Amino acid sequence: MAPTAASTTLEESIKAVGLEAGARVVGIATVEAFRERVPEGYRPDDILPGARSVVVAGGDGPTAGAWRCPDHRVMEITGYDLRENVAVHAMGDHIERAYDHHAIQAPSLPVHGHAPPMSMMLAAELAGLGTRSLAAHIILNPEYGLLYYAALITTLPLAPDPPLERPACPHPGCVAMYKRIGTTPCLRVCPACLSGTVKDGAIATSTYDRERCHSRAQTYGIGSFQKALYQIVNEDDPARRRTMIYGDFFTKSLEALGFYRDSIAQCFECMRVCPVGRKHRKLL
Amino acid sequence: MSELLPGATAALKSAALKAGASVCGIADARAFDEHAPPKHRPADLLPGAQSVVVVGGAQPRAGDWAATSRAVLETMGTTERIQSVGRRLAQLIESEFGYYALFVPPGTASGDTPFLSLMLAAELAGVGSRSLAGPVLNSEHGFLYWSAVITTAPLEVDAREAEAACPAPACREMWERETTTPCLKVCPASSGGCLDGRLENGRAVRTFYDAPRCHTRVHTHWIGGFQKVLEETLNEPDKDKRKMLLYGDFFTRTLWAVTYSSTNIAQCFECMRVCPAAHGNKELH
Amino acid sequence: MGIFRLDPETYRRYKDDVLRLCNSFQRIDRRGLSDAEIATELGLPERVVTEIRCVAERDCYSLDEWEKAIEFKDQACRDWAALALKRPDLKRSSDG
Repeated sequence: MAPTAASTTLEESIKAVGLEAGARVVGIATVEAFRERVPEGYRPDDILPGARSVVVAGGDGPTAGAWRCPDHRVMEITGYDLRENVAVHAMGDHIERAYDHHAIQAPSLPVHGHAPPMSMMLAAELAGLGTRSLAAHIILNPEYGLLYYAALITTLPLAPDPPLERPACPHPGCVAMYKRIGTTPCLRVCPACLSGTVKDGAIATSTYDRERCHSRAQTYGIGSFQKALYQIVNEDDPARRRTMIYGDFFTKSLEALGFYRDSIAQCFECMRVCPVGRKHRKLL
Repeated sequence: MSELLPGATAALKSAALKAGASVCGIADARAFDEHAPPKHRPADLLPGAQSVVVVGGAQPRAGDWAATSRAVLETMGTTERIQSVGRRLAQLIESEFGYYALFVPPGTASGDTPFLSLMLAAELAGVGSRSLAGPVLNSEHGFLYWSAVITTAPLEVDAREAEAACPAPACREMWERETTTPCLKVCPASSGGCLDGRLENGRAVRTFYDAPRCHTRVHTHWIGGFQKVLEETLNEPDKDKRKMLLYGDFFTRTLWAVTYSSTNIAQCFECMRVCPAAHGNKELH
Repeated sequence: MGIFRLDPETYRRYKDDVLRLCNSFQRIDRRGLSDAEIATELGLPERVVTEIRCVAERDCYSLDEWEKAIEFKDQACRDWAALALKRPDLKRSSDG
């Protein structure tokens, strides 16, 4: 869908570029919307002076087939095409070329420990693309469920999309389940990382142990490499050190670093059992 | 092998621009012999090489230069976008023209030495010229990322750029006033930086570039940093201090950079940020 | 001067506070503090807080937790497949 008609708004034109580039959804938030909820240094206009808008693209996660695989290792390395980032680049190029305004890809990779320069989750919420869930506060799109988000920051003033009025979580099925047995599918499958309560059909409380989740969502990766390396350098016995260096865990950790694109997220168990967006996973 | 049809060079350049390159130029493969050492010339990589196709593009956006967080330029790496153009052209040359084509790998042959100098290739292909700060600048677009394809196809070669982008008029004026230029001032070798140089009659007559020091800035969090921390850790007898090194901010960030390498390729742009010739000619809001 | 090195004693003294205040253990109704905000709260330089947080995030759980993660995912994935695909044979046997 290319931007062509004279009656197409500026916002529709930009979104069309993103959707054509592979985004599943695109939304817009104003920079002001971030101010109240974000500490200084992490706001869009801290990153791009004069920024007025944030355009957020959501891209698909694993395919429906990947969700059905009984081997969790497949999902660990099922890989992404990172198309929400492609969409953001396409829109950023378009904004600078067509409208003469600055645009940058919002930096989202962590640069100090687990802290990213800007929250893509919050950007998605403020741009009306989803709401926080009981499952690790993952942003769920009411139609598609789990999506991956990237954003661009621009000096171009754009009309924002409002945040969603009705939260995607809890799903009516989960509300019913909570009434019956006091838990929901995600809370039941992963009590180690998650806890929460539902009251009057809404999330009343919710906690998320990110550091434990890290050992699951990035079992093999930067963290496991550091943990294993620390053990290796502290091991005095050369024979034991050898088995640690060449063993399965350290090897897989190195593979995850080398083939990062295929191992970005390695635990989906809370999302696997989540009913939001599930209709899109029922195929032939 | 089929003969090259008339218009093939123009068709190739058109395909390059359509694929996303900002510029495309062709160099004579033999022109490298005078400048490049043995083993790093086109014919060393592809015997029978006649031409080298160079594409430039995927440059940081105007907004990237304006961003106040250094994390933006450190983690926005777009060079992969021009690499895919290079790969596509290599396939096109072979499938459409019937000549051999070798996409020059963007990595290193050993240590920090590339297979073929993409900077030299850009110069010889007439799409850029060296700057005081080092990077090859295109006179219209400024700072670009480069990709190259070596081929046995006898393409029409381009002349080198007649007028260099560097020094820019503003830099020549600054030299007259302050005996320095924006890039030399922001990163002076005399004060622990990487650059030095001299202009005479508006032209650079001497340049100095401390590559090992620049490496610590452009690749702060990279293989070298990883090796350095590993060495310090192994030399540290105290286990708790070892933990501080291996779990600390620097090593963690370095591992992120190594893992997400395609977006962490260049981590210092300060000489280019201040360069009036590096950002192309477009004014934005 | 080498790279920034955190004194282990400083780390031990402040790591629990930093973990508590940052985004490691999240609540849906409030956000964690930034390094700058934690620094103000604890009276430490921001750089030190960043370093403590990075080490503490990694140090929070032992490597045993990673092994538990592997076990958890294998079991949860197979249990779901057994239920959703109506294939009880996919369920993990007691001996793994």
